Amino acid sequence: MRYLEPLLVAVGVCGIFGLWEAMVAAGIVNARIAPAPSTIAPMLVELLGRANVIKSLGVTLYEVAVAFLISVPVGFFIGFTLAEMPGLGAVFRPVVNFLFGVPKSIFLPIFILIFGVGIEQKIAFGVFTTVFVLILGGISAVESVPRELVTVARAYGANRLQVVREIYLPAMAPVLLESARLGMIFNITAVLLAEIYGARDGIGYRIAGWGESLQMPQLYAALAIVATLAIAVNELLQQLETRLGAWRQRPA
Amino acid sequence: MTQSAVSARAVTQNFTVEGQSTLALDAIDLEIPPGQFVALVGPSGCGKSTLLSLVAGLRLPTGGTLLCNGEPIVGPVPQRIGMIFQEANLLPWLTAVENVAFPLKLRGMPKRERLEAARAMLDLTGLGNFADRLPHQLSGGMKQRVSIGRGLVQDPGVLLLDEPFAALDEQTRMVLGDEVLRIWARTGKTVMFVTHNLSEAVYLADRIIVFSARPGRIVDDVPVDLPRPRTFSMMSSERFGALKDRIWAHIRDADH
Repeated sequence: MRYLEPLLVAVGVCGIFGLWEAMVAAGIVNARIAPAPSTIAPMLVELLGRANVIKSLGVTLYEVAVAFLISVPVGFFIGFTLAEMPGLGAVFRPVVNFLFGVPKSIFLPIFILIFGVGIEQKIAFGVFTTVFVLILGGISAVESVPRELVTVARAYGANRLQVVREIYLPAMAPVLLESARLGMIFNITAVLLAEIYGARDGIGYRIAGWGESLQMPQLYAALAIVATLAIAVNELLQQLETRLGAWRQRPA
Repeated sequence: MTQSAVSARAVTQNFTVEGQSTLALDAIDLEIPPGQFVALVGPSGCGKSTLLSLVAGLRLPTGGTLLCNGEPIVGPVPQRIGMIFQEANLLPWLTAVENVAFPLKLRGMPKRERLEAARAMLDLTGLGNFADRLPHQLSGGMKQRVSIGRGLVQDPGVLLLDEPFAALDEQTRMVLGDEVLRIWARTGKTVMFVTHNLSEAVYLADRIIVFSARPGRIVDDVPVDLPRPRTFSMMSSERFGALKDRIWAHIRDADH
């Protein structure tokens, strides 16, 4: 049973590619808009061999990583502060909720005016988009800590630092990781969007170029690479989340 | 006169909620000699749990003095006073044995030493075989046994139980009541036991303190003169019923 599900997924994926290939061969699908997998696969290998493509991937990964490393501590810190200081929270939580709901893409022209079209602008826009997810995650993580466990710790003589280390951190860990993962999805989207909108390098910039010049095999191959990387990052964070949150699971 | 394990002298507790001040405890005087098993009963909101949290050092009284072995209680002293809560309140990310060892961890005891002590304690509470389970893999009664182990692990002289069996079914409640009595008989600890269940109070305690409705005052101090060990059949005896009636009369008058 354990191997059945991956097997079914593999069969399904192969089926879709097979169907796609057949429809292109039969002329039902226009090969100029959706080239056959057999055309895309060699292109994928070729792209991964091109130095400028690898460099663009590196630029994007760098932007994503830096934006994430800034967003996580900043967002969680703001979130914890708003949750722990009711006065501040009352003032700023509605603002955060409001800004969270606004589509960040409308601010892209402003980010170009301020930061230009370089790497800094991608990082700034990534942080701007991601930080709200992490602020809200930080708030709900604090609120997820059961008060009665804090009382237990205090009754058994825990000092402030011990309450944070022994109760707050383990109780919050799964919620924090969950919002970090969600934030990463927003982060990748934001950086790619900024690259497609206006950039000098990065895989989003390449994708935009191939799209404009109708180089469909390159475009699809790049999509496959980006999708694979994004899924890998997501899975990695999910694994971590599951491991640290095992105690939350109900008995089987 | 021997020194009391717990003394309350004119203990008063005020709560201020949204500018409204309520008196929860009004001039409580209470002397509990070492080794006594005391049940605290009274209508809901009478402040009996508040008194327990004061003895635990979780808050300071608005007025009066609380002493443990003659020394003022100014904060939690877990080596002297162990607390067991209504819901077992185990840390869900720790196994049973780690939960029992938790107070020792806070004290900075090395891991091996504290886990060893915790294992011995789980054996005492009858959960030796479940040491490595997580709380969500245990039944309600088992969780409360772990919680009792956690209260006992530092061998405190005083044990506070705040409606420990309120969330359990009748059978489990009976079994755990006997368990507490067995541990108490073996260790000779002073016990303060808050409960809503009058039969439980009479069955377990040497002495029952009856509180009035808010503001909480002591309206009766009932010695339970039933012989020990207590047995199930005593619960249908005339004396048992008379004691229950006496307490019930106070609570009925207070609760309106």
